Amino acid sequence: MADLRPSEVRLEGNSWTPYLFAAPVAIYLILFQFYPLAQEFYLSFTSTDLLRPDDNPFVGLDNYAFLFEAGDLHNVLWITAIYTVCCVVFAVGFGLLAALLLDAPFIGRGVARALVTIPWAAPSVAVALVFTWMFNAQYGIFNHGLRALSLPFGAENWLDNPLLALPAILFTTVWQIFPFSSVVILAALQGVPHELREAAAIDGADRFNIFKIAVWPTIQPTVFMLVLFVTIWSLRRFDLIWLMTQGGPIGATNTMVIELYRQGFVYRDLGSAAAIGMIGLTVALVVTVIYFKVTLAAERAQGKR
Amino acid sequence: MSSIRFKNVTKSFGAKEVIRDIDIAVADGEFLVLLGPSGCGKSTLLRMLAGLESISGGEIVVGERRVDQLPPGQRDMAFVFQSYALYPHLSVRRNMTFPLLMQQFQWWYHLPLVGRMARNRIEKRPDVVTKIEKTARILALTEMLDRFPRTLSGGQRQRVALGRAMVREPQVFLMDEPLSNLDAKLRTSMRSEITALHREIGGTFVYVTHDQVEAMTMGTRIALMRDGVIQQFGTAREIYTDPANTYVARFIGTPPMNLIHASLSGDRASFGSSQLRLPQTYTTRAEVLLGIRPNAISIGQKEGAVPGRVVIVEHIGAESVIGVRLDEARTAHEADQSMDAVMVTVPGYTELAVGDAAYLSFDPAQAVLFSSTSGERLRP
Amino acid sequence: MTASPISHTLRPLAVLALLGIAAFPIYWMVVTSMTPSSELFAERPNLLPSLGQISIYGEVFRTIPVARWLWNSFVVAAGTTVFSILLAILPAYALSRFRFTGIAILGFALFATQMLPEAMLVVPLYSIFGKLSLLNSLFGLILANTAFVVPVITWIIKGAIDGIPLEVEEAARMDGCSRIDIVLAIVLPLIAPTLAAAAVISFFHGWNEYVFAQTLISSEQLRTASVGLASFVGELSTPIHAVMAVGVMYTLPAVIFYLFAQRYVVAGMTAGSVKG
Repeated sequence: MADLRPSEVRLEGNSWTPYLFAAPVAIYLILFQFYPLAQEFYLSFTSTDLLRPDDNPFVGLDNYAFLFEAGDLHNVLWITAIYTVCCVVFAVGFGLLAALLLDAPFIGRGVARALVTIPWAAPSVAVALVFTWMFNAQYGIFNHGLRALSLPFGAENWLDNPLLALPAILFTTVWQIFPFSSVVILAALQGVPHELREAAAIDGADRFNIFKIAVWPTIQPTVFMLVLFVTIWSLRRFDLIWLMTQGGPIGATNTMVIELYRQGFVYRDLGSAAAIGMIGLTVALVVTVIYFKVTLAAERAQGKR
Repeated sequence: MSSIRFKNVTKSFGAKEVIRDIDIAVADGEFLVLLGPSGCGKSTLLRMLAGLESISGGEIVVGERRVDQLPPGQRDMAFVFQSYALYPHLSVRRNMTFPLLMQQFQWWYHLPLVGRMARNRIEKRPDVVTKIEKTARILALTEMLDRFPRTLSGGQRQRVALGRAMVREPQVFLMDEPLSNLDAKLRTSMRSEITALHREIGGTFVYVTHDQVEAMTMGTRIALMRDGVIQQFGTAREIYTDPANTYVARFIGTPPMNLIHASLSGDRASFGSSQLRLPQTYTTRAEVLLGIRPNAISIGQKEGAVPGRVVIVEHIGAESVIGVRLDEARTAHEADQSMDAVMVTVPGYTELAVGDAAYLSFDPAQAVLFSSTSGERLRP
Repeated sequence: MTASPISHTLRPLAVLALLGIAAFPIYWMVVTSMTPSSELFAERPNLLPSLGQISIYGEVFRTIPVARWLWNSFVVAAGTTVFSILLAILPAYALSRFRFTGIAILGFALFATQMLPEAMLVVPLYSIFGKLSLLNSLFGLILANTAFVVPVITWIIKGAIDGIPLEVEEAARMDGCSRIDIVLAIVLPLIAPTLAAAAVISFFHGWNEYVFAQTLISSEQLRTASVGLASFVGELSTPIHAVMAVGVMYTLPAVIFYLFAQRYVVAGMTAGSVKG
């Protein structure tokens, strides 16, 4: 039977209650998330065409073998890795800087904090649309600006250029997601005891040292959690990339999710798509495990455990 | 030299003036206590001295240097916070080394590898190590040097905070109610430890507290504040025996000084049918408040004494506190002490009970007079 | 603390730069929508909207079924909000108050769903929905969206419930409330700000969602604004300023609503998680 916390014993009633509470959402998720997942797992071992989804001849590990040997998997993994790492570094980094900037009191701080969340509120489709226009070679505002300042790349069609496409996509993604980091870190900054900052100032610490010794230790758990979430979400980000470059040109922005979608809906090969999906999921799981191991080790070193 | 001088210091938060015209000075080596109730401005004044708050007007001079425009790290002062503010992820040793590290800090120490090497080098230097160990020994922290703040008790953390202040060997030690978070017994022992520390290492101490016992026992000079204004600045003895106004009189002492409505004429203070003959003659004739401490009153014979009735009796052990409502006079005690009683302390265990008649004799030599309108002290 | 004069001028500049970066693309979308065609392809870009061009909005409204798209998006977003909150309350409470092995698994499962991309599950969902006759219906889309937003919502609500002292519930218990009564009458009112935050988050998820809306809906009548707008990306026949106008009509309500609501969202998200 359910094992309740000591204080819970006093509230003892129907001991089926916890299961009843958890059941609806469990059933829902099984139906709409885990059963489809299981289906994907199964599909990855079949050769299935998009137009004949119920015809699933079993092919064993053929899909995986193809991906690893002849397919584009190495490039896809590489692009995914770069995209994810850069997203995390820049989104969390800029989020941190923005949060620090918005932390000190100044007139209009409330308004500023609200306005900085605009990118996060904008729908991905709209963001993809306007940024595609802004990156336009001839008429896009970015190139206008570059040309006006006599900087290079002012004539490039960013989204069509294999070297510039990924930076452009990264720029767009970071623009959209840094406010979330900023808001989360700002909330964490409120928990920094101001006396700790003052003690460091009196001890002669400059601004960086004050940050290192008084602020960072307090916000570190939050930032680490943020890194995990941004990583996982980057691994599954679809809308922006698909609408702006469809993974091109020549696979320059082809992350795993994009490749998955293309395999399934363009090449109509649901088996390969599912295989990529499984590989992607494995990557996400590995990342999560590594994350928890690293944070546990770090906490132990700091004397927390 | 670490004398401190506040010259006409004021502080306003927007339109609200919180510190008004503070002008006091203490000599090198003094133990200045800023005393007062919550919100009186004592912590603000301390923080202005430290550089954690800016000043709106006036000057602060330490030794020969004007410091009020300097950032906190450059005033050669150490600050002990009420919450100790220890660096949570550093060991006790590292907490105490940190100020020394900052003193030696060069801008390139911010670089990752270079910085760490430089830091290790400084931490291992013999003079640094000696200083830490010496300070740890003085504060009985030697066994705890490698532990983390989270594993220490309140009193131990307090001492680490003190240690962190001491290693800098600053000119001035600032303490913001450092004992408030400790339990009563610990507070008493830490009090004497801090006083002993002051004696041993010299330096000027500025100590903020709302506890008048701490102020009276620790301070060489006390500034009693209320609403941003200093009510009286002097030694403990002066403040006790020679209060400047009724606020000071009622703040210091447990139980506080009694204030009785009386009429003053020449050398007589009259209330009801009683008359007290004062040692000096006063030129003013006025309605006054007669101030007399509970231990300057005795209870005894009916003959020539002030009559009253006992309304409360408290047995403390070594003495008893008896509250007597006078038959023919009123006190000027705060409205919330609605008993309107003159408090008297007598040694030992009194036999008096609530409702008994009591006859009070006042010692005129210890009586002080205040204007009943302004509360200011009247002098002959 | 006394601030240096340099930071006094640098900070406002930095803040303005930050806000400029955050707001510019949306601003540019508005400007482009109100720039006449002739100027769109000119040598020097027009940085300010030509207010005379505001008639473009009327035109777009008439020629493109924007109103219908927006309405569909609204229905999906509102439906997602209602469903996801209803579904999330009980497990959030259970995760906060109960301890048993099943709960740990539930917690982990909710977290694990964060790793599942919509693009991956869209195919199996397509076939499941086909079998349940939920294809090509806004209701089906709502169900799909709910599945993806419930984990986040549950976590936030759980955090808020954590912040309610157990004594309050014990008092209610003494007064004879059953567990479900406690949840409805005591807990929910106390976490109202967080529920508001959860509502905003799920509303936005429904409003912004693209992949499912694209795949599970094929009828023109039921198309959502996200899909409608996406159909213009890369397509050349519709003039840019008209496309941007559609974009503005889709984005601005969301942004403005969010600007008003964000204070509650932040407060709601961090409720119960104050760490000293």
